[in-house]
Amino acid sequence: MTDSDEDFTRPKWPRLLSNRFVVVPALLLVLTAGWNAWVVTHDHGIVAGRVLDASGTPVEGAEVKLWVFNFTTFVVKATTTSRPDGSFEFANNPSHNIQVSAEKPGKGRSARVAIRLYFASEDFVLKDPLRLTDGT
Amino acid sequence: MRRYPRWPIHLALLAASFIMLVPFYWVLKTSVSGENIFSYPPNIIPRDPNPFYYVDVWYAIPFARFFLNSVVVSTMTVVANVVLNAMAGYSLTQNFFGKNMVMMLFLSCMMIPFQATIIPAYLITGKLGLLDSYLGLALPMFSTIICIFVFKASFDAVPRSLIDAARIDGLSEWRIIWKIMMPLAKGAIATNVILAFIWSWNNFMWPLISTRSIDMQTLPLGLARFLSYQEDTTGALYAFCIMVLAPSLLLFLLAQKEFVQGLTSGATKG
Repeated sequence: MTDSDEDFTRPKWPRLLSNRFVVVPALLLVLTAGWNAWVVTHDHGIVAGRVLDASGTPVEGAEVKLWVFNFTTFVVKATTTSRPDGSFEFANNPSHNIQVSAEKPGKGRSARVAIRLYFASEDFVLKDPLRLTDGT
Repeated sequence: MRRYPRWPIHLALLAASFIMLVPFYWVLKTSVSGENIFSYPPNIIPRDPNPFYYVDVWYAIPFARFFLNSVVVSTMTVVANVVLNAMAGYSLTQNFFGKNMVMMLFLSCMMIPFQATIIPAYLITGKLGLLDSYLGLALPMFSTIICIFVFKASFDAVPRSLIDAARIDGLSEWRIIWKIMMPLAKGAIATNVILAFIWSWNNFMWPLISTRSIDMQTLPLGLARFLSYQEDTTGALYAFCIMVLAPSLLLFLLAQKEFVQGLTSGATKG
């Protein structure tokens, strides 16, 4: 059918809605709304993980530090202590660029683990535990 | 008629496209890898690509606010450009006393750079009480002479008989512009939209002078602010560039057909 044979009895709105100037912004709006919904439901600022010693045994009472990037360097934002099963949890992490480290006298200290989050305060669970070494 | 092979043209076009697209690819690659620009040998494929430089940009400056400001100012500029330039372009297709003088004035004004008019523009905006406001940011770009001529070229291509018929049917000049001329000038409208948008979106000098508070700054000013905040900016700087470029690139891709039509309309007679 050519342009001159346009069917005027058909409603115009389906063609208008399938226009790329409508479809692309609508798609972007949906993606943005979806992303924001994900952010709102996952931004409690929880950072969790476990602390193990060199032999793989959970360490209780290790001091775990949360480091937050502050323009040029990382500064300690919060400190917590590991539980009997070696687990720890920070609440209210405000940043998207953080580091976590653990230390216990006699057991040693872990390397600082850098964590990059997709948005500030994103809930995050460390896959690999913090391992304390060089305890002597 | 002898047909020449097309592959040499396609080859040349491919080579030209490659040369033009390589910088864009490099910016995109660096924005996801953060690779130092001086590293040797350079990696063609990004190593460990990640989106975290974009996240850094988002939180280093009030990106959402700057983005909103840019969108509002650009939208105002685009709407004003289409309306005012169409009116001016239509008037230049009519015969009136001093038309040639007006045309000469427009053409001569095109030679005056914007930088030379910044102080008067600032004083006028200040007297109107529009400094540090959206309207004040958009006002100097409300009409551009090049776009007036784009509309004029497009309106010149419309047969006079059509306008005469509209007048005989009783349409006023306003309704002739909006009901007859504008639907026939989609290419010119697209050209106006894209040019006005790009000029407004990339404008640095005027927002720098006319804004005082951080809340009213636009993205180009945000880029300058961002550079002053960060030390190692390689990846984040390129990510910022992509974030600033993306909307105008999207707009061009959406309307490229109309854009090319607008540039070529009025190029031929008959």
